[in-house]
Amino acid sequence: MHGGDDQHETAMEPGFDFISPRFEEPKFPMHQVWGYAASLVLTFAALWMTVNRIMSPSVLLGVVLAMAVAQGALQLGVFMHVRESRGPAWHLLPLGMAFAIGIGLVGMSAWIMLFKSGVS
Amino acid sequence: MPALPSFVPYLIHTLFPPWVRRPTEIGAEVMMVAGGAFIVYWLLKYKKLQWLWNEWLTTVDHKKIGIMYLVAAIIMLARGGLDALMLRTNLALPTAHFIGASEYNEVFTTHGTIMVFFMGMPLIFALFNVVVPLQIGSRDVAFPRLNAISFWLFAFAAALFNLSFVVGGSPNAGWTAYPPLTELAFNHTVGENYYFISLLMTGIGTTITGINFLVTILRMRAPGMTLMKMPLFTWATLNTSALILFAFPPFTIALLESLLDRLAATSFFTLSHGGMPMMYVNLFWLFGHPEVYILVLPAFGVFSEVVATFSRKKLFGYPSMVLSMTAIMVLAYGTWVHHFFTMGAGPAVNVFFGLSTMLIAIPTGVKVFNWILTMWGGRVQFTTPMLYFLAMIPTFVIGGATGVMLGAVPADYQFHNSYFVIAHFHEVLIGGTVFGLLAGVYYWWPKMFGYKLNDRQGKWAFWLFAGGFWPTFIPQYWLGLEGMTRRMYTYPLGMGWHTLNVISTIGGFIMGAGFLVLAANVLYSRRHQEKDLTGDAWDGRTLEWSIPSPAPEYNFAVIPTVDERDWWWQEKERRRQGEKPVVVKPEEIRPIAIPKNTPVPILLGAAFFMGAFGLVFSWWDIALAGLVAVFSILIYSWFQYDHYRILSAGEVRESEELLGRLGA
Ligand code: HEM
Ligand SMILES: [Cu+2]
Repeated sequence: MHGGDDQHETAMEPGFDFISPRFEEPKFPMHQVWGYAASLVLTFAALWMTVNRIMSPSVLLGVVLAMAVAQGALQLGVFMHVRESRGPAWHLLPLGMAFAIGIGLVGMSAWIMLFKSGVS
Repeated sequence: MPALPSFVPYLIHTLFPPWVRRPTEIGAEVMMVAGGAFIVYWLLKYKKLQWLWNEWLTTVDHKKIGIMYLVAAIIMLARGGLDALMLRTNLALPTAHFIGASEYNEVFTTHGTIMVFFMGMPLIFALFNVVVPLQIGSRDVAFPRLNAISFWLFAFAAALFNLSFVVGGSPNAGWTAYPPLTELAFNHTVGENYYFISLLMTGIGTTITGINFLVTILRMRAPGMTLMKMPLFTWATLNTSALILFAFPPFTIALLESLLDRLAATSFFTLSHGGMPMMYVNLFWLFGHPEVYILVLPAFGVFSEVVATFSRKKLFGYPSMVLSMTAIMVLAYGTWVHHFFTMGAGPAVNVFFGLSTMLIAIPTGVKVFNWILTMWGGRVQFTTPMLYFLAMIPTFVIGGATGVMLGAVPADYQFHNSYFVIAHFHEVLIGGTVFGLLAGVYYWWPKMFGYKLNDRQGKWAFWLFAGGFWPTFIPQYWLGLEGMTRRMYTYPLGMGWHTLNVISTIGGFIMGAGFLVLAANVLYSRRHQEKDLTGDAWDGRTLEWSIPSPAPEYNFAVIPTVDERDWWWQEKERRRQGEKPVVVKPEEIRPIAIPKNTPVPILLGAAFFMGAFGLVFSWWDIALAGLVAVFSILIYSWFQYDHYRILSAGEVRESEELLGRLGA
């Protein structure tokens, strides 16, 4: 950031402790190495399972979906440093909202595409 | 005669198939080549190349990026408008077959796509860039270089999309590009490739812009400016950016999957291979409905500034304005199925989305009443921006009311895909978005360039444009009710549709004349400038009017402390009461870091363009070369470390001195 016009944050409200500042500066980014390896494993495992069709399609879909969610969490936590912040971690609140909207949109789309139709 | 190398006929056949050799295409080609040649000649003759590169093409200054968006949007408005007039001419002369069926398909597709993505969106970003940092007392956006990258991705995508008209062929499946019409099996030309790829490109830019302005507004406001003290245009920008953030990802996926269906033989939307074409429709409108609010919220923001300034009163009901706009933002995410009620997802689904659609009318109504109450008892000045505001009220009210009619599910089974829909969305898109953005352009023009647009000519353009609007679109409601469907290129004369169509076409040409007067207005006012030396051309209320016009590159020599709404108005009020003015004190001026120019954004745009062009024709080597170029440029830019140059306090002081801004 530049221009020196940053906002100054004030003291934490009670009940908002989970956004209190927390910052890690390790000498060697061991977390990231593990995270990278785990991402690769999750990706290639999913590919391997689908290519070799090791389970019935519906089970496979569930498993791959779960692995995708796990990888999403991994990316957020390890590479996007989602829990860390020099000031209060305000970004956790909109992030929660983002999840709510995202899940809402996906859920509603599934509902719409079920075609429980009486009219068409 | 020696035989040509074999690739020459192949290239001619691929790049210039018969459907780009019709008179309209040849005409456009001649115009493009002549125009391009003239620009190059002009640049060389007046030795302007260096200037163009240094001042514009490599700039990262938000004010200049805003102006470039504006220029691009006006050019695209001309293209989209010409398309519109071709369509209207065809419909007024149903027996003359001015353009045939397939060309009609292409022209309504490019018209809709250009108007939404390459005219509406850049015009919005023009205002964001020009206005928001100045309104919140910031020196730039949060990520100036990304901002330039957004612009160049848009600009090259627009160029690519327009190129389709003369090279390879235009897309022809409507601005919505539904499968199966877009699937390779039914659509062999490269047109739809152009559509998907150019929208992917500009979509990346748009998403970045959304993030950029979210961060800018949340993090870079002047001290004292809490959220509830922000001007409403800034609020509109914040809400629009929040809509962009979630609306564009589903669209990106829909475009990418459609493209893969065409280029990589996948079958995401191919019914015969177990794909789900209706899922495309769902994803498209998951984006598409928020998109229409992306287009209209900035216009609401403009109107809120315009009506307060020209009524010389503070905006009526500020908190309810903020609340209603935010409510619209949230609700906008929950109505998308009203675009495909007829898919028949079931009564529960349709009722839910019908109700959510009608719900949006409530916060919108709140805004309209607040604007009217702002004028109440004020001293209203009928300037050009104010006229656009006044014209918006009836159009938007009718457009909104017919929108609610469309939201009534059983009725929509009748209205769907008819001219009723065309009339409805043009009424809100032109009456809301275009009127609003034009008002914004007239209003902030002096801030951008340091002189006003001539008001007399502006009013002529207004009366033609807004006056032509009614005969163009109101008859279409009746055409829709009488059964005329959208996207038809002709009709039998016995249907009784002819008179209304002729009226509509005449109205369209009146609007076209309005555009010409607007263009003349710009050129004339440029030549006969009356410099505004105050920086406050309209006796404005918000922060951007407190600095010179055009703003110096650092915007604010000293960032003001803004602890009230309409700070600049209140400051002037205090001055009128004899208090000492807040002025820039020389000793408060500190050195300022200014982001340096960089060729990275424009090169990145060009590299994307190359890769995209390769993809359009499935020339994989060129596509790959483009990809390599993109990565090379990114890697080059990683190793550039000093992105800022320092403007010393002395230089800033000198510049402020010249602008007559230094107080004791
Ligand atoms: C001079 C003003 C305009 C005129 C005369 C005009 C006219 C038309 C016509 C004749 C059609 C084709 C209808 C059909 O055959 O289905 C159309 C479609 C459309 N217009 Fe406009 N238009 C104008 C301005 C605009 C503006 C400013 C926008 C958006 C900001 C816009 C967005 C669209 C869209 C999205 C479509 C649908 C295209 C499709 O069916 O895929 N138009 N317009
Ligand atoms: Cu909608």
